[in-house]
Amino acid sequence: MSGGIARGRLAEERKAWRKNHPHGFVAKPETLSDGTVNLMVWHCTIPGKTGTDWEGGFFPLTLHFSEDYPSKPPKCKFPPGFFHPNVYPSGTVCLSILNEDSGWRPAITVKQILVGIQDLLDQPNPADPAQTEGYHLFIQDATEYKKRVRQQAKQYPPLV
Amino acid sequence: MMEEFSEELEPLFDYRRVQPLNVVYLDDDDFDAPSASPPKRRKISDSAVEKVDDTVKAVNVIDCGDKEEEDWLPPPPKVSLDTKLRGEDSTLRELRLKKQELASLAQSAENVMRAVEESVKKELSDSLEAVAEKPSKPRCERNKIVLSIQDKDGAKQFRIYVDDKFERLFKMYADKAKLDLKSLVFCFDGDKIGPAATPDALGMEDHDIIEVHVTSS
Repeated sequence: MSGGIARGRLAEERKAWRKNHPHGFVAKPETLSDGTVNLMVWHCTIPGKTGTDWEGGFFPLTLHFSEDYPSKPPKCKFPPGFFHPNVYPSGTVCLSILNEDSGWRPAITVKQILVGIQDLLDQPNPADPAQTEGYHLFIQDATEYKKRVRQQAKQYPPLV
Repeated sequence: MMEEFSEELEPLFDYRRVQPLNVVYLDDDDFDAPSASPPKRRKISDSAVEKVDDTVKAVNVIDCGDKEEEDWLPPPPKVSLDTKLRGEDSTLRELRLKKQELASLAQSAENVMRAVEESVKKELSDSLEAVAEKPSKPRCERNKIVLSIQDKDGAKQFRIYVDDKFERLFKMYADKAKLDLKSLVFCFDGDKIGPAATPDALGMEDHDIIEVHVTSS
């Protein structure tokens, strides 16, 4: 039953996304090798904001929805080792709106999640660190931090 | 003169004798006086008739005036009133009838128009159906699709055939945007769209978004 709810909602999310989404963003359910679509896993791209050190990077993000979605938020993962103070070594994003016990609301859309994560890229939250390297450089060495961010942006050029 | 007097005196003298004579005379006068008396009588009778008519008319007028007071009065005036009313009624009736006629004419005209419209619509839809039925496959293939091409500043709507190669749309967009086609990259769902691809092949739906990126190189 709850799975039906999750899939129904995700189908709606996808429909809405196709008609309207911010430029540079990608969000599509994964297509399995047999050609079927798995609505529970979405492959997304978040563009670095223009005018920031993240500009030019198109960062891959995967959303993992549970059968309890939208009661519970999806798990949002960058590639493992992604450089950011609020991203766990596993790549999982630590953000209040993605926390079931904090800021998550079932009404939050996929678009809002992705835009929220784009905002987080250039505005890390030092009060909630998820990895040591990113956090320490952000706190102690702004120059090195900046350099690492720009380097990572080049690592994720536009796919096209 | 004398004779006249005598004659005049005679009746005075012999009243009895005169009376029967007078009676006779009156009768005789009625029958014997052809020139003088009958016209008089006629006139009298005419005038009498006229008078009668006058009185009738007067009665009528009075009756009209005092209608309320003399409601109970004999029917003749009422008849005349009725005829008057009838006259009015008939004209009104005529007007009403004409009105109804006109209305019905207008109605029938409307009906005719409607019928014509419906028949035309039917014919159109029938022909459309016929057209759709006959070459259904090619028609499906020639369906059009509305796509938005979105850049950083916003989206523009384009309408193309679902089996049309994208190169045509891309050229059109580059011309409109006054950009070099070679510097443009078009993406759908994060994947680059080749110039030979078609909306159908990519499974596109109405109002899907094609993103355009301007490459710096």
